[in-house]
Amino acid sequence: MKDNIFAELYNKLLGFFRQAEEEESAKDVACNRLRVVLMQDRTNLTPQLLERMRSELVELLSKYLEMDKEALELNLDQEGEQMALMLSIPVIRAKDEEEIEKALAEAETEKEENEPSEEEVEETDDVEESEQTEDETEEVSEKEEVKEFPNKEICGDCRECELSDDIECEKKEINKTAKKSK
Amino acid sequence: MSGRVIVITSGKGGVGKTTTNANIGTALAKAGNKVVMIDTDLGLRNLDLLLGLENRIVYTIVDVVEERCKLKQALVKDKKNPNLCLLAAAQTRDKTAVTQEQLKDICDQLKKDYDFILVDCPAGIEQGFQNAVAGATEAIVVTTPEMSAVRDADRIIGLLEAKEEIESYKLLLNRVRPNLIKSNDMMSVEDVVEILSADLIGIIPEDTGIITSTNKGEPIVNDEKSLAGRAYMNVARRIMGEDVPFMNLEEETSVVAKVKKFFKGLMGKEK
Repeated sequence: MKDNIFAELYNKLLGFFRQAEEEESAKDVACNRLRVVLMQDRTNLTPQLLERMRSELVELLSKYLEMDKEALELNLDQEGEQMALMLSIPVIRAKDEEEIEKALAEAETEKEENEPSEEEVEETDDVEESEQTEDETEEVSEKEEVKEFPNKEICGDCRECELSDDIECEKKEINKTAKKSK
Repeated sequence: MSGRVIVITSGKGGVGKTTTNANIGTALAKAGNKVVMIDTDLGLRNLDLLLGLENRIVYTIVDVVEERCKLKQALVKDKKNPNLCLLAAAQTRDKTAVTQEQLKDICDQLKKDYDFILVDCPAGIEQGFQNAVAGATEAIVVTTPEMSAVRDADRIIGLLEAKEEIESYKLLLNRVRPNLIKSNDMMSVEDVVEILSADLIGIIPEDTGIITSTNKGEPIVNDEKSLAGRAYMNVARRIMGEDVPFMNLEEETSVVAKVKKFFKGLMGKEK
């Protein structure tokens, strides 16, 4: 009996410290992984189709953002009856206006060749924007822990500030307003 | 009389289908119902072992189908409970030896004389599963709080939903370990229920008693002191339509409960 009491106490203590570390518990990992895999099982999206969707999204988004293409995560999630598409993209930097214009122009010429319907493009655009803001906030929370000090020092004329969302500087503000005005 | 045909299935192997079948069957029979269990796991039969009936089997379901004996001759009566009997699977044949129609026909015949027909389904989603489900109108999906088992249960639920004959299915969560759930190392009952969005019919705690009961060939429901045995009894009562609250496993397995149980055991011995 005594052994049991001590074992329980020990586990409680361990559990307490684990929580303090804010490490994702095995249970949460299991739940999240399961949700993803079940979503794939339930929809008839094969890995090939998902991969195709992924690459098309990368193509589209890279017109506007420079991002880590390999790290793009595409998940389907179920919230009650609703199915949600979760997109997580580590943004390296936002492209400036010129680059975007150029990319769009390039796409335009391609479009003329292929003629996809405009509605589709608009729809996906909307989704991306909302997803993107979500992901940016996610990114911030992740990166905050790692890069707190070094960036503030560098933040001058260089582009370091753009790499990370947690640093505010003049240049970034300008970029932001430029984005908004669009 | 028109009995209820319940198939006990899981998709994944080793989650406790056969144990569940043996225990629910025994519990239902103990409560006064006439119960017959059908093992459809042709080639890999085990239900006879869990019930301790392996030496009494003369005819199997294949013998019935191939008309070497009458259905009643193939039913093996339980050692303790005359209300309970088993229709064993053939150990030397494969899943193709019995067809869906034949199994449905057997279920229909048994319905006339028995309150409950429990069909023990083989693992997997192939022919064996399709056969086992053929005669049933209800299903119990057994799973454990492990990812692979939950995923397979989800697949099975999808298949059951597509079957018109299956009027309802319930989830039975087996091998639950309250300590691991408490420390957030294992998915909780709520997690699994939410992920699968299915109705729950029972929560069975992990119990070492299952091993000894299997070794002895005696279902654990016969041991009224065991937690898993009581949990199985509750499942049987729920199947019969009683409204039985779910056990609080965390409380039951806590140190205090163990101390209480220990003293109760002492007192019992003194008497």
